[in-house]
Amino acid sequence: MRIVIIGNGVAGMEAALAVREREPSWEISLISEESDHFFSRTALMWVFSGQMSHRDIEPLERDAYARLGLRRVRARATGIDAAKRLVLMAGGLEPVPYDRLLIASGSRPRSGPWTGTDARGVGYFVTLQDLAWYESEVHGGSSRAGGPPRPDAHLPASAADSPYGFREVAAERRGRLAQRPAVIGGGLIGIEAVEVAVTAGLRPRFFIREEWFWPIALDPRESQWIADRMGHHGVDVHLEHEVEMLEADSDGNVAAVRTNEGRYEADCVVIAIGVVPNTSWLAGSAIELDERGGIVVDESLTTSAADVFAAGDCASVRWFDGSQRPEQLWYTARDQGRVAGRRLLGDSPRYERGAWYNSAKLMDIEYTTAGLVNWNLDGEQSWFFEEHGSVRSTTRVVVQQDRVVGFNMLGRRWDHSVLIGWIEEQRSLAWVLTHLNDAAFDTEFVPPLRIPGA
Amino acid sequence: MDQQGQNGLLTTYREGWRNRSILGLTISLLLVSFYIVLYWEHKVQEQLGVAPFTAFSEAVGLRNRWYLYGFLYSVAMIGGAVYYLRRHGNSRYNRFRITVNVAIQIALGFTLPFIMPLFGGDELYFSYFWPLKYDYLYPQTLADVPLYFALYTVVGSLLAAPVLAVLYGKRWYCSWVCGCGGLANTFGDPWRHLTSKSTKSWRFEHLSIHLVLLIAIATTFLIGLDWLIGSDHPTFHRIISGDDWKDWSIKSFYGFAVGSILAGVIGTGLYPVFGPRVWCRNFCPMAAVLGWVQKVGRYRIKVKPGMCISCGNCSTYCEMGIDVRSYAQADQSFTRASCVGCGMCAHMCPRGVLKLENSWDRPEDKQRQRLSVVDF
Repeated sequence: MRIVIIGNGVAGMEAALAVREREPSWEISLISEESDHFFSRTALMWVFSGQMSHRDIEPLERDAYARLGLRRVRARATGIDAAKRLVLMAGGLEPVPYDRLLIASGSRPRSGPWTGTDARGVGYFVTLQDLAWYESEVHGGSSRAGGPPRPDAHLPASAADSPYGFREVAAERRGRLAQRPAVIGGGLIGIEAVEVAVTAGLRPRFFIREEWFWPIALDPRESQWIADRMGHHGVDVHLEHEVEMLEADSDGNVAAVRTNEGRYEADCVVIAIGVVPNTSWLAGSAIELDERGGIVVDESLTTSAADVFAAGDCASVRWFDGSQRPEQLWYTARDQGRVAGRRLLGDSPRYERGAWYNSAKLMDIEYTTAGLVNWNLDGEQSWFFEEHGSVRSTTRVVVQQDRVVGFNMLGRRWDHSVLIGWIEEQRSLAWVLTHLNDAAFDTEFVPPLRIPGA
Repeated sequence: MDQQGQNGLLTTYREGWRNRSILGLTISLLLVSFYIVLYWEHKVQEQLGVAPFTAFSEAVGLRNRWYLYGFLYSVAMIGGAVYYLRRHGNSRYNRFRITVNVAIQIALGFTLPFIMPLFGGDELYFSYFWPLKYDYLYPQTLADVPLYFALYTVVGSLLAAPVLAVLYGKRWYCSWVCGCGGLANTFGDPWRHLTSKSTKSWRFEHLSIHLVLLIAIATTFLIGLDWLIGSDHPTFHRIISGDDWKDWSIKSFYGFAVGSILAGVIGTGLYPVFGPRVWCRNFCPMAAVLGWVQKVGRYRIKVKPGMCISCGNCSTYCEMGIDVRSYAQADQSFTRASCVGCGMCAHMCPRGVLKLENSWDRPEDKQRQRLSVVDF
């Protein structure tokens, strides 16, 4: 049996491992344009800051592919011939035949819809190549040099449509490193790009279109605290600034960001306005995509083509609210990869999305969420508490008809699995507030949260 | 200071001296040279006609070079603690632990042993136990020290230390009390990410630490036997602890190989090459014993299910070379024998996935699942 997996990320790797665990002799190939080694994409910021090395963010030892008999093809797939069961390859490589195929090609950054985004010094912060570029702008060096994005012979030198191509570095042309970076887009990637610029000793600008930072996850009070921390650490946060265009100087290096509120000088611009499924290479491959480019799959992650499955950020799955769209999270990609692995083995598992949860670290404030927060449910109410002791935190419990349906917590650590349990048990607000510290996950000696009157 | 209780803003570690650069290796070379001169000062004196540490110690009134070493050790720990707390002091666990550890070194590791002889007492170290302080269970030592200290040593080594490790993990000693661990966690902290996480290094650790433990127990046993029957068996006595075979008896070999080479020259001198816990991880016999005990005790690292993003901060900053990430991404709470409970994995985790705890009540351990990429 020939198993081919497109993508060397968490979904593809989990699937490969699931297959290998049960079928020691099947031929498994992983195709990746981006990297020789499976790495944690969520950890790019720490490589930038020098807190970890490239190797530190790889969850497996480097001999894992050889040890597990996983063949790697470091090249770009350009399409699928589902009738002949072939993966078509760029760079004049032979097509790769498959018996069962998993597409786990992930996301690519959403491009800026403005003029000027092709100026030198404008980039993203999603791929390893983006990391190399951003490091080159801020710390020096070439975006071609060092680290995983090494130019393999069989990779096309520069694929215009690829998120994994190398990017020219404005700092090299300008003769000095970036002094005044700007980040556009008020989400998680944006705040990471801002934080690493701060650790490099810079004072970045952060352009956010909305009224407050990260409105899909935070309410104004929570967001204000994050914005205060950003300001405290030297970030210029520009709320309600709609970017209109990026300006370049006569050499083609980015020079400024023009917004509805004015013109701001910038010598490096990171566009962080979200990600989209990395599926444009599937155009004409007879695999059904949704209107956003996600690969439409059923509950067993099967695509419209026989023996072709999809998992991770590129797959458009059915959500619990009935909508069909990709889930762009680390843990859902991992879970889907495990299910897809069983599909590749011939089982018929169902991918079932449990309750929503997530966590993040927003500058130096830790964030945990569980259940339905910011969903604007009928008759929902928020119970909010702001702690101002030796620990600072906020606690928001979303209640609908006296049943707790969601939690949004900043500044302390919480065990989301306990919180989700309470939601499933349909606990009341009063009960939850009395028992809240049963879900605490703070490190030792952190005083417990005390809620007056609870 | 407690902005949010535990973690802090991303810290950057780009300095070359922390990363096996020429500068880092130079620091290592200086440390190794320091220990060689310290331990074999008589050889230096034979060559150069001067014993530098002894001469300096006497000039500043520190009686002998070991007090000078104790003083420098304490200064290194204080300086390292300042460095450490500036980076990681936003966690209470880190603050409490390092403060206690440094205080114990200053009080019990330097001041008390220095002061006691001034009042006619013995130079006694209350913060070390057998088998780390290997000669404290030698019958001759027990006979020489005051009775209360002999009792303290026997009860401390054989009863209190293991019992506390059952209740709180080996961290009560390795990360809160021990001077070796204290130096590693303060002065050695800048190099903690250099400890290897490879499977090979784990295999080496298994072999080496148990070998040293075996040698420690055998040496103690033989010296005890020698105390009982040595006067009737002169050859046996010479081999075990004879003075006329000074450099080659079993007793002096253990002191040379384990005490000086492994704990000093390699264990501390190579901080900037192999990370600060070379001794604790690979050689310390006490760590081996407490590690076994820890496995059956309450201590563990609890993993919050489904939240790990496999970023690797925990593994990278584990000074004991434990691949914490492999457990975290498998949703598996765990106790590893080598874990000294420094808490850095939990501290570095950007998602708050890890928590150190002492608990008998851990139902989910019974339903461990094989889920992850590391199960092969």
